[in-house]
Amino acid sequence: MKNRGWLFVIPALAVLAISAFIPLMTVINYSLHYIFAGSTPTFVGFENYVEVLRDSVFLQALVRQLVFSLGILAVEVPLGICIALCLPKRGPGVAVCLVLLGIPLLIPFNVVGIIARVLTQSAVGVIPEFFALFNYSFNVSKDPVDAFMTIFLLDVWHWTPLVALLCYAGLQAIPDAYYQAARIDGASAWKTFRYVTLPKLRSVLIIGVLLRFMDSFKIYAEPLLLTGGGPGDATTFLSLHVARKAESYQLGYAGASSFIYLFIVIVFSYIFFQLMTHIGKGETK
Amino acid sequence: MGIGVFNIEKSYEADVALNDVSMEIEDGAFVTLLGATGAGKTTLLRIMAGIDRPDKGLVFYDGKDVTDVPVQKRNIAMVYQEFVNYPSMTIYENIASPLRVSKPRYSKTDIDKQVRYHAELLGLTAVLNHYPEEVSGGQKQRTAIARALIKDTRFIFLDEPLANLDYKLREELRGELKTLLQQKGGAVVYATPESVDALSMSTDVAYFEEGRLLQYGPLQEVYHNPAYVEVGAYFSYPTMNIMEAHKITEQGKTSLSISDEIRIDVTEFRDRLQAQQYLVGVRAYNLYTSSQNGRGLIPFSATVELAEELGSDTELHVRHQELVLVVLMQEVARFPIGTEITGYLDPSRLFIYDRETRQLVLKTFS
Amino acid sequence: MARIELEGISHTYNPPSVPEAQREYAVSNMDISWPDGSANALLGPSGCGKTTILNIISGLLQPTAGRVLVDGKDVTPLAPRERKIAQVFQFPVVYDSMNVFDNLAFPLRNQKVPEREIGKKVRETAEILGLEDLLKARITSLNAADKQKISLGRSIIREDTAAVLLDEPLTVIDPKFKGGLRRKLREVQNRLKKTMIYVTHDQHEALTFADDVTIIQDGHLIQQGTPHELHSQPASPFIGYFIGSPGMNLLDCTLQDKDNTLQFSDFHLPVSQELKNKLGSAGTSLKLGIRPEVIDVATREQDGAVAFTVSVIEYTGAYRVLTCDRESSRIKARVSESISVTEGDRVWVSFPEEKVNLFFNEKRII
Repeated sequence: MKNRGWLFVIPALAVLAISAFIPLMTVINYSLHYIFAGSTPTFVGFENYVEVLRDSVFLQALVRQLVFSLGILAVEVPLGICIALCLPKRGPGVAVCLVLLGIPLLIPFNVVGIIARVLTQSAVGVIPEFFALFNYSFNVSKDPVDAFMTIFLLDVWHWTPLVALLCYAGLQAIPDAYYQAARIDGASAWKTFRYVTLPKLRSVLIIGVLLRFMDSFKIYAEPLLLTGGGPGDATTFLSLHVARKAESYQLGYAGASSFIYLFIVIVFSYIFFQLMTHIGKGETK
Repeated sequence: MGIGVFNIEKSYEADVALNDVSMEIEDGAFVTLLGATGAGKTTLLRIMAGIDRPDKGLVFYDGKDVTDVPVQKRNIAMVYQEFVNYPSMTIYENIASPLRVSKPRYSKTDIDKQVRYHAELLGLTAVLNHYPEEVSGGQKQRTAIARALIKDTRFIFLDEPLANLDYKLREELRGELKTLLQQKGGAVVYATPESVDALSMSTDVAYFEEGRLLQYGPLQEVYHNPAYVEVGAYFSYPTMNIMEAHKITEQGKTSLSISDEIRIDVTEFRDRLQAQQYLVGVRAYNLYTSSQNGRGLIPFSATVELAEELGSDTELHVRHQELVLVVLMQEVARFPIGTEITGYLDPSRLFIYDRETRQLVLKTFS
Repeated sequence: MARIELEGISHTYNPPSVPEAQREYAVSNMDISWPDGSANALLGPSGCGKTTILNIISGLLQPTAGRVLVDGKDVTPLAPRERKIAQVFQFPVVYDSMNVFDNLAFPLRNQKVPEREIGKKVRETAEILGLEDLLKARITSLNAADKQKISLGRSIIREDTAAVLLDEPLTVIDPKFKGGLRRKLREVQNRLKKTMIYVTHDQHEALTFADDVTIIQDGHLIQQGTPHELHSQPASPFIGYFIGSPGMNLLDCTLQDKDNTLQFSDFHLPVSQELKNKLGSAGTSLKLGIRPEVIDVATREQDGAVAFTVSVIEYTGAYRVLTCDRESSRIKARVSESISVTEGDRVWVSFPEEKVNLFFNEKRII
C-alpha cells in the first residue's frame, strides 16, 4: 500500500456516504418520478422540474429567500467588520469580548426560535411592550413586516458574531508594519481602512460571505418555530416551502425543488467567489 | 556504492522542475547541488531522500532500487532550512529522539553517551536542558544537525541549512560542517544557491539550471573547467565577468577584441577558434587595480560605479566603455563613486566560450 | 532631510516595579549623531538591541531615558506620524490593491499635492529606482525586490521626510536579487543624499551601504567609524572578530619582561623594544589580534615562524582559508592559489608585527 494514511479516511467517507451521498441520490431519484402514497413511482423525467419552475408559490418563496439572504449579507458583513475593528487587540479585555461574542453562536437554532417566540408574544412579550411605547402595535403573528424583520434581526443577532470573529482573526494577521507605513504616508483613517485593512481581509471575508450566504439561504428552524411560516407566507422561506411539499407526500415535487435549491446555492456561491477573488487582484474596472 | 538517480523527471502542474536528470554519488562524497532558486536542486534533493517521488526515473541506494520505498523506511537523515525541532522537547530530547524510535533499541546509557558526544561536537552541552524556543537560531540549527548526525545513516541530505542564519554564523558553521560531515562516511548531499558553500565544503559539485543538470564533477574540475557560460558565471565567488568578443585576424595574428583597449592575442589557439563571436569570461580576482609587477597584464581605463566592502575584500564595480566589470581587491579600500582608475586584465586566466553553443571552447591557461 | 541624534538613550523592557539594580537594559546610554544626508548603518548580532534603537528612533517605543533629536529639536514625546521618519521593513509593505504608480503617489495624494506635480515626482522617483517601465503594473505581479524598491520609493518621494530607517530590508529577498537591491539602495542614497540609517546583522550590507557604521553589542555602542577604521583599528576583540571574513584571530598571551616575548599557550613570539615600550607594564594578560589575510604562511621552516598543522582547507576561488592547529592554539589564515598545501601538512606561520593588534581588558591598546 503506497500510503496507509488513506485507511484513516474510510470511516469518514462511510459517514459521508450515508449522510450525504446516498440521500442526494435518493432525492434525485424522487425528483424524476411521480410518487403518490401507496402506488408505485412512475418515471416522469423532467416533468417535476418544469412544474416547480412554473409554480408561482415556489418562485415567490425563492424571491423572498433571496431578499432575505442578500439583506443578511448587506447587514452582517459590514456590521461584523465594524465590531471586529472595535475589539481590543491585546490585554485582558480580549478574552471577555470574545466570550461575549461567542455566546449567541452557542445557542442552538431551535432554542433561538423559542426564545424569540417568547419575547415577541403579543400578550406577554417584552418586544411588543417596547413598541407599544411608540404607539406601534407589534404583532408577529399578524403583521408580515414585523414577522420578516423579527426573523431577520434574529439572524443578525445570532450570526454577526461569526463574521466578527472571522474578521477579528483576519485583522490580527495584518502585521503592524502596514499600519505604521500608512501613518507615515499620511493616510486618513478611512484611507487606511480602504487600502490596508480591507484588501488584507479579503480571504477572510470570502469565507464569511460564502458561509453566511449558504447558511442563511437554508434557514429553517427559526421561522418554523417563531411564525410557522406566517402570517400567510410572509416568512415562508424556500426550505420551509420544500419541507411542506415533502410532508404532504409530493415527493417528486419536493425532490425536484430540492435539487433546484442545491443548484441555486452552488451557482450563487460560485458567482460570489469569482467576484471576490477578482476584486482583490487590483484590476481597476 | 552510494546514491544513483537515473532519468529523473518531475513537474509541478505546468512547471517542469526536473528534466531527465541522472547522476551517481559515491560513498564518502560531499556533493553540492548548486543553482539559483527554482533551478531544481531542492526538488532533486527531496527525490533522492525519498520525500517526493519522481514522475519518471529511478533512485538507487547501494545498488538497490528504492524509488518506491517510502522515506521512513530508507534510513536517511535530513536537515532543513527552517531549523526543524520538536518544540515540546528539550534539546537533549531532540537529539535523542532518532535513537529512541530506532530498531534495534538502544539502552539508556548508550543513548546518553551518544547524545552527550554529539552535543559536545556541536557546542550544545550548555543548553541541553533548554527548549528550542529559548535558544538562538544558530543553536537551533546545530540541534537539527546533531539529530541528523546521531542517526547511524548512510546518507545525509541538507537543504540550504545555513540560509536563515546570521552572516557570521554562516561563516563559522561552514568550516564546522565540513569537518563534522566528513567524519560520517556514507555520502552527503547539500543543496544551496551559494557558490561559496559549494567551494568551501564539497568534494563534488552538480550545477543545475532550469531543471537541467549542466555539469557534474569534482570540485576543482568544475571550478576550473566550467563547461558552459552559465556554470562559469554562477559558480564563481564573487563573480565571473562575461564579455562579448569578436575575432580579428590581421597580419598573421589572431586576436579577440573586447574593446579598443582590450585585445587578447590568441594566435596560438587559432586552430580551435573557428567562429567569429565569443564570450570571454574572467573571474573578478583576475582583474586588478595595479600592474602586479607587469605580468603581461592588459591595462584598460575605467570609472568606479560602486565599491562594495565584503569583510576583508573590496568588490569594485567599474565601467569600461559599455561594459560593467567587477574587480575583487583583496584589501579594504574606499573608492568614491566616479573615480577614474586603470584596470588590469590577466590574459592568461581567461575562459573562452562559443557565443552560440554557450560551451567552453578553451582556456588560456592549463 | 535632517540630522538625527540620540542623546543618552537607555531602555529596559522591565516594568517600573523591578528595582533599578535588577533591571536588564536592552540599550544603555547611547549617544549617536547622524549628519544630514549621511549613509549610516547600525550593525550587530541578533539580540544586540538594534531593533530597540530603531523603534525608539521611529517613535514606536518611548525610551526609558534619553532624547531623540531631529535637527536639534526634541521629538521624543512625538508620535511616529509626527516625526516624519519613514521606514522600510524586513518584508515589502505595499498597497496590494493599487498599481505601482498609485503606490508611489499615495503619500503625495494624502498631502493634497496637485496631480500634475504628482505625476512628475512619481516618474522621477521611478526612474531613480529603475522601475519606470513598471508604472502601470499591478503590485501583486512584482517580485519581492521590486516591491521593496517601491517601499523605499514611498519613503523618499516626500520632501519633508526627515530620515529613512531600513530594517534589514533584504531579509526576504531571493539571493539572486540581493546584490542588485543592495547596490540600488546605495545608489539611491548617494544620488539623493537623504539621511538613511540601515540596521542589520550582515556586515556586507552594512559596510557596503554606509559611510559610517556603528557597532552595537549587548545594548552598548562599541565603536563608530568608517568601514576602513573598523577593519584596521577595531576598538575591541569582538569587532575584530565580527568584521572581516573570516574574522580576526584572537589569541590570549602574556608579556614576558625578561626576554621580550609574548607568551602564548603553546608558543612564543619575540617583540621589538618599540612595541614593548608601547605596552607598558609586564605580566599583564593581553589578547593578540591578527587578521587572517596578513598572516604569512610558508611551506618551509623559517626563522621566527611558528609551526602549525593544517586541519581544514576552505576554498573560495580567490583564496583559501586554512584552519591551522597546534596543541592548544588554532588560527585561520588566508592564502592565495600560489601556495600549495593539503590538509595535514605542516606550515610555518609568521605574524608581521606592524599588522598586529593588542587588546587589554577587551579594549585595543595597539
